Amino acid sequence: MAKKGARNKRKLEEHIPKKIEEEINEESDVETDDLLNVINNEEDADSSDSDRDIEESDGEVEDVLESATNGNDDDSDVEEEEDDADEEEDDDVNEEEDDIDDEEDDVSSVEDEENEGWTSSENEEEEDKPKNGTSLSETKSKTKSSKNKADGGSVSSLTKLVKNDDNKEDDEYKNDSSDDEDIRNTVGNIPMKWYDEYKHIGYNWDGKKILKPPQGDQLDEFLKKMEDPDFWRTVKDPQTGQDVVLSEQDIELIRRIQARRNPDAQFDEYAPWIEWFTSEVMQMPVRKFPEHKRSFLPSKSEAKKVSKLVHSLKMGWLKTLAEKEKERTKKDAMNFYMLWESDDQAEHMRRIYKHISAPKRALPGHAESYNPPAEYLFNEKEMKLWKKYEETPSKRKLHFLPQKYDSLRKVPSYSRFIKERFLRCLDLYLCPRAIKMRLTIEPEDLVPKLPSPKDLQPFPSVQSIIYEGHSDMVRCISVDKIGQYMVSGSDDTTIKIWEINTGRCVKTIPVEGIVRSVEWCPNTAINLILVAASNRVILINPNIGDYVVCEKTDELLKEAPLSDLIISDKVKTTVQWVDPTEEEYAKGFRLILKHFKEVAQVTWHGKGDYFATVMPEGANKAVLISQLSKRRSQIPLAKPKGLVQCVLFHPTRPMFFVATQRHVRVYDLLKQAMVKKLTTESKWVSKMDIHPGGDNLLVATYDRKVLWFDLDLSTKPYQTLRLHPTAVRAIAYHKRYPLFATGSDDTGVIVSHGMVYNDLLQNALIVPLKRFEEHKRVNDFGVFDVKFHPHQPWVFSSGADSTIRLHCN
Amino acid sequence: MNTENLSESQLQVKFITKQEIYAVPDVPFSVPVNINIKSLNKLLNELLKENNSNIIKSIDFDFIVLGELLRVSLVEHLEERNQSTEATIEIEYVERTQAPEPQDALLHDDWVSSIQVADKWILTGCYDNTINIWSIKGKHQAASNKHTNCVRSVSWLKKGDPTKGFVSVSHDLTAILWNWEVGTNDIQEHAILKGHERGIDTVSVSPDGTRLATGGWDTHLKIWNASLETDNDEPPSKKTKGTFVRTPLVTVKGHKETISGSMWSDDKTICTSSMDHTIKFWDAEMSSIKSEIVGQKAFLSLSWSPLNNMVLASSADRHIRLYDPRSIEGSICKSTYTSHTLWVPTVTWSQYSEHLFMSGSYDKNVKLWDTRSPKAPLFDLSGHDGKVLCVDWSNNQYLVSGGTDNNVNIFKNNNYN
Repeated sequence: MAKKGARNKRKLEEHIPKKIEEEINEESDVETDDLLNVINNEEDADSSDSDRDIEESDGEVEDVLESATNGNDDDSDVEEEEDDADEEEDDDVNEEEDDIDDEEDDVSSVEDEENEGWTSSENEEEEDKPKNGTSLSETKSKTKSSKNKADGGSVSSLTKLVKNDDNKEDDEYKNDSSDDEDIRNTVGNIPMKWYDEYKHIGYNWDGKKILKPPQGDQLDEFLKKMEDPDFWRTVKDPQTGQDVVLSEQDIELIRRIQARRNPDAQFDEYAPWIEWFTSEVMQMPVRKFPEHKRSFLPSKSEAKKVSKLVHSLKMGWLKTLAEKEKERTKKDAMNFYMLWESDDQAEHMRRIYKHISAPKRALPGHAESYNPPAEYLFNEKEMKLWKKYEETPSKRKLHFLPQKYDSLRKVPSYSRFIKERFLRCLDLYLCPRAIKMRLTIEPEDLVPKLPSPKDLQPFPSVQSIIYEGHSDMVRCISVDKIGQYMVSGSDDTTIKIWEINTGRCVKTIPVEGIVRSVEWCPNTAINLILVAASNRVILINPNIGDYVVCEKTDELLKEAPLSDLIISDKVKTTVQWVDPTEEEYAKGFRLILKHFKEVAQVTWHGKGDYFATVMPEGANKAVLISQLSKRRSQIPLAKPKGLVQCVLFHPTRPMFFVATQRHVRVYDLLKQAMVKKLTTESKWVSKMDIHPGGDNLLVATYDRKVLWFDLDLSTKPYQTLRLHPTAVRAIAYHKRYPLFATGSDDTGVIVSHGMVYNDLLQNALIVPLKRFEEHKRVNDFGVFDVKFHPHQPWVFSSGADSTIRLHCN
Repeated sequence: MNTENLSESQLQVKFITKQEIYAVPDVPFSVPVNINIKSLNKLLNELLKENNSNIIKSIDFDFIVLGELLRVSLVEHLEERNQSTEATIEIEYVERTQAPEPQDALLHDDWVSSIQVADKWILTGCYDNTINIWSIKGKHQAASNKHTNCVRSVSWLKKGDPTKGFVSVSHDLTAILWNWEVGTNDIQEHAILKGHERGIDTVSVSPDGTRLATGGWDTHLKIWNASLETDNDEPPSKKTKGTFVRTPLVTVKGHKETISGSMWSDDKTICTSSMDHTIKFWDAEMSSIKSEIVGQKAFLSLSWSPLNNMVLASSADRHIRLYDPRSIEGSICKSTYTSHTLWVPTVTWSQYSEHLFMSGSYDKNVKLWDTRSPKAPLFDLSGHDGKVLCVDWSNNQYLVSGGTDNNVNIFKNNNYN
């Protein structure tokens, strides 16, 4: 056990750094307890002087033994034992030499003390020491050795001493077989105190009782102690009860352990260090196996660490040296600070996040003065008022009564001071304060970035010509294909044809009925104007321009083509094709279509053969498509859903747009089916126009909106423009320039840039450019129609003030 | 502070002139920098009196500094052009253009769309389809209403010689060549020119009087024989006896929109302006485009001057632009004359000065311009009570204009004797 403990200790001592050495010492002490107990037992029996030799030869051993005799509980003493050995020994030696004379006399007293029960070990030791005569010489030799030890050779002399003892008693141990294997007692590992009552201590291999050796009384013990030179190293074997004399090796071992040295005497503590694993790169490394794979792979953990560092650098938690330096210099540079913090800024408080400082109390005014000017003192009326609000002091203007004192000395203590302070405190902590965030968004920031109108020229910018002549509001205009003439229809039941460039009214044709819609035939081979006058749709040959074309037109319309088609009753009741009377023919009328309800709109198909008419009150016969060459009408929509407002032919494809109050439905004329339904998200559609490209539709509504539909995008408007403050009545695209114009009841005509890109990915660019407000307001009506010049970036607008105006670039 | 300095500081000027009779010694003078025209005139007149004993009464001069007429004080004029006041300034002076005097107004029945003066006869075309000849004294001499639609343009066949007959074009798609016995009311239509498909807006006669060029809404430029001799191939007109139907010699296509103005620059070259934003020069013999000026706005009329070989074109955007067709770098607008407030449908060069021209506008004003003064005209000739549709300065002595107030206003030019 002791050996094992020693070995453990050695191991520990080798590997554990010095700092925790002390703790380990304690442990090792505990482990060696058994051995110490053995020794104690022996000493309990006889505190012989001979052990002094050892004690004095090595003070530490002595101390351990002392502590053990004191009851094994002084573990803490171990540390103290590491006293300066040399000094102690010198003192001891002197003492001993002095004491030699007295030692014989003190024997009896020692005995007394022993009998008393080994109370004071120190006394005992000191008194015991001289008793042993043999020890004297040894002590002397020891003193020599101790003196030698000062030179560094004490250990070797001690070992010699011990060895001499060993040589003497070698024989005794020859028969001794008290090692762990030789178990003579077969009772096993049980507490031996169970056998205290018995005479025997166990059983041997043969099953015979092992009898306890005869227990001598104290006198025997003492004698033994006196006589037996080996008594000090005799221990009792708890297994057999036999006395065992420890061999020299055992003693040496114990001593080494106690000295905290390597138990193995042969161990060379100062052997030269062999550096097996050097930092130097060797030709043939000690370890023959190749480097491990991980030594070639980048370390993940290191990468983690690096990324952490990088992240903290990025976030600004970690500063580079350069940054730190910069900050430091900055700090040094900005060394100025306010002596007092300014009043207007929030006080910086640690731990209080976003502290809202309490509102300042109003500064006292003149009324609060102890000597206020006379006007601040209450007169009778004010006093009355003051008294009137006795019950409700909150209604008072002032919360105190201004008072006048001759001097500050005469001012009494303020009776409400505590109360007011208390109320203030209540205010401060009961009334929550909050920071109100006020958004400071400049209106300019909300406006999307649009190109400057200057870059989007040409567009109409000035009013140039006013076409005057109508006597009532002009509801509709239409420009011929080459831009020479314009036709306008008015509430004065006439249509007028104007020469655009001069503003001359070339012709006036009465048509009997409010003209709600006119349109010049888009086919240049025929010269016809489609006029919707009340419930008649009239085809008029204006007889201007190329007379050859005019004549051809007349010829074309002279005779009705023979048709064997049977016209259904439904169509018959809706519309009747009538030839004009002679009188009417002279005016230019060529064909008249009598509808059963008032016609609100007429529009030509792009090729000039078909035209559509709209009768909003016509219910399920609201829309009519007529063919000029066959003089035939048909009702394309069996049941239009809602009140039809206006219709439109697609410029290139066989599509038909029908706008009801809230929706625009797109029909395919070939398939005779609805293709698309556009949701306007508004209440009442007024007009619509289609981009000449055919993919974009503009819808004007009476609820002030202008909607731009991109037919490729969705059924919802791509853009909703709220340009006008009132109902939008007219809308038109330019055929060549990226322009569109809107006219509204507020007399405003707004020309906007509406660029449609060929690139399908690019959405249309819409920029309002110019607003004209030349028209006058009549009966809350402003502008009725806008149309563009076919070639020039000029826009015409007709209004309720019975004029038509041309705006030029 | 600044103005004080200005009033004190002096400027070195030198007076030069091209008019020999008003020459002054070539000596630099010191004048205050903020000197104006009035003071300059005073100074110059005194100088003249010193040098030339013949000149007794004071003469009004206009001063040209850096190629432009002085209209403000000298220093402001220089500052506008970033010119240093350190160097000696050359001031050219010319006798001031005198204001035209209103002479007469001839009332018509309808809008006067075109006008041309030859000798003392004024030829006007009207919107009531009539052609009228007036004497310059204001006497109505002759009229004809053979056209069936408004007459858009008229022109004497020989400049200054009314005996050679005239031509009129109309929106009835025809042009008519007329014979006129000068001084009588006898107007004979000689030939009807048929071939246009839409209304004809402009007609011009070649300098030698043998060719006509017409253009109109069908965008074609047509060149016709202008002779009053009878060609045997020509079929006689069915409607009127003694007249013939004539077809165009050449039809040139090139413009994309209506031709608004035309002018022969020599016997072989026609320049035309069009609403398609271009001015084109045509070779009449080859019937091809010689050159082209591309502008920014629709042109409403043009005038070419043989004196300086420059083209004036008016447009719908209120400006009159001066182009130099010879410049190689393309259609460089030499200057822009801005004073009108509405469309300028007509502009014409003077026949005797390379600097003067007149213009009429829908803002009821006729303006007399000097090319060296682009910001302000020399004179505003007011008097019309409606849009001015046509102006003419063929007779150097008379500035005539016609408009939608049915009036022809005649102003006497006092500069030309």
